[in-house]
Amino acid sequence: MSVFANTLDRAPLGAEVPSAPPLRPAGRQPTGRAGASASLEGVSFSFASDRVAIETTSLHVEAGEFVCLVGPSGSGKSTILNLLAGLLAPSAGRVLEDGAPIAGPSPARAVVFQDAALFPWLTLQQNVEYPLALQGVPKAERAARSAELLRTVHLLRFAASYPHQLSGGMRQRGAIARALATDPKVLLMDEPFAALDAQTREILQGEVERLFLETRKTIVFVTHNVREAVRLADRVVLMGTRPGRVLREVPIALERPRRTGDASDARVHAYAAELAAGIRDEVEKIAKEEADDAWVAPGGGVRVDPRRNLGSGI
Amino acid sequence: MLLRAIVTSVLRLGLGYGVALVGGVLLGVGLARSRALKELAGPLVLGLSAVPSICWLPLAILWFGLSELAIQVVVILGAVLPIAVATESAVAQVPPQLVRAARTMGARGPRLLYGVILPAAFPGILSGAKLGWTFALRSLMAGELLFVSGGLGQLLETGRDLGDTALVLGVVVLIVALGRLSDVLLFRRFELEVSRRWGTEAAS
Ligand SMILES: Nc1ncnc2c1ncn2[C@@H]1O[C@H](COP(=O)(O)OP(=O)(O)O)[C@@H](O)[C@H]1O
Ligand SMILES: [Mg+2]
Repeated sequence: MSVFANTLDRAPLGAEVPSAPPLRPAGRQPTGRAGASASLEGVSFSFASDRVAIETTSLHVEAGEFVCLVGPSGSGKSTILNLLAGLLAPSAGRVLEDGAPIAGPSPARAVVFQDAALFPWLTLQQNVEYPLALQGVPKAERAARSAELLRTVHLLRFAASYPHQLSGGMRQRGAIARALATDPKVLLMDEPFAALDAQTREILQGEVERLFLETRKTIVFVTHNVREAVRLADRVVLMGTRPGRVLREVPIALERPRRTGDASDARVHAYAAELAAGIRDEVEKIAKEEADDAWVAPGGGVRVDPRRNLGSGI
Repeated sequence: MLLRAIVTSVLRLGLGYGVALVGGVLLGVGLARSRALKELAGPLVLGLSAVPSICWLPLAILWFGLSELAIQVVVILGAVLPIAVATESAVAQVPPQLVRAARTMGARGPRLLYGVILPAAFPGILSGAKLGWTFALRSLMAGELLFVSGGLGQLLETGRDLGDTALVLGVVVLIVALGRLSDVLLFRRFELEVSRRWGTEAAS
């Protein structure tokens, strides 16, 4: 774990939690290209002079690491993802992939958006093949690859369906298949499951972890949901707002694959409570700024439900 | 005489509309994608699209005489502006998320335009094209009514001169049929395809 300039250094959380690195099940061969490291070095980004999205933020994601960015709205999570994708260029600082500056978008860094962003005029299969077609992959090879990917996300039966014929969860799986088509080194996911119901969300979390273990790609995953972050991440990065910045980083020392049973649930809960406490001040700060009169925290602090989303107490 | 009038009008319509369609889509895409063009020509296009196209006829006759070209100019001007305006707004309304997604997969420049922006804007461009067709038909009839040169519009004028109500009504029915037929032949299958893919209701 790396802690950079902007990270508030505090004592590690959860002393009772084992601090060994996360375990990976042995005997599985990673498929495709393995992950690359990705980092921000002292990066600032402003949309306008009075609209600072993130300020001198540093963040390092190891190759093959699963990092979750958690924070309230406006803390610059999407901005960081777009910088890593190469869709935005930093106003100051450097954005790197495997130590080399990122000059623009690249198929080596794939993005999954909250609304899936599948092309409505293409079938699911054509959507998955689109990035391959861009790379000039021959038709037969594209078909084979898309079939394999759709099987991986359990959607092979729906290859000929258009996106509007699929449920939200299926569209999101389709978007993941499309993102994996070019065999990227880094997978960037911006609140991919935020619009899904709790059960679908849980199933997809399991699938993302399975893909992570099978492919060993680097994953940067943005979420509002503290529990989702603990369920998925090797390390959680807490973000603060105004300006957007990294508050602190919390390694999650739970073995993989993560279970949803009772024993692990208590530890997940402990982590989630710690994370929620870590951003309580931040949520309070926003609540104060957004209230139109002098705002007093009820009972000395905003209630943050550690099992739910941030800011549910606002 | 009737058949010849129909053929004359349809050919004129086909030629003028074809030019207007290509020009309108190009102009619309240009307006949506280029800030310079938008600033230069945007207000002009909007302003001129409010001018009934038949108002161009005197000018067209002054420049080109009582010629085929004059009437084509009126047809083209009648259709090109609504198509351009509809195309511009369809392109401007393409969800930015789709463009962003395509860019992350490496699409840039012309491939982004042809592979993503134009397909995404297709439903809006299609309704602009349909609107342009009705405008082209109206402009053509007005033009043919106003100066003798063959075609269905002139046949209407002949009917009036002869006091032949049946001929006038017959030609009106023909124009209605032409409008419906062209709808079915030209636009129907595209509309069905759009509603199949996008999952929207097909307009009848
Ligand atoms: N396109 C934009 N134009 C101007 N400001 C923006 C734009 N996108 C985001 N911002 C601002 O940048 C800040 C960070 O936004 P974002 O990265 O989207 O945060 P998050 O994803 O954590 O909610 C916010 O204050 C937001 O209002
Ligand atoms: Mg966001």
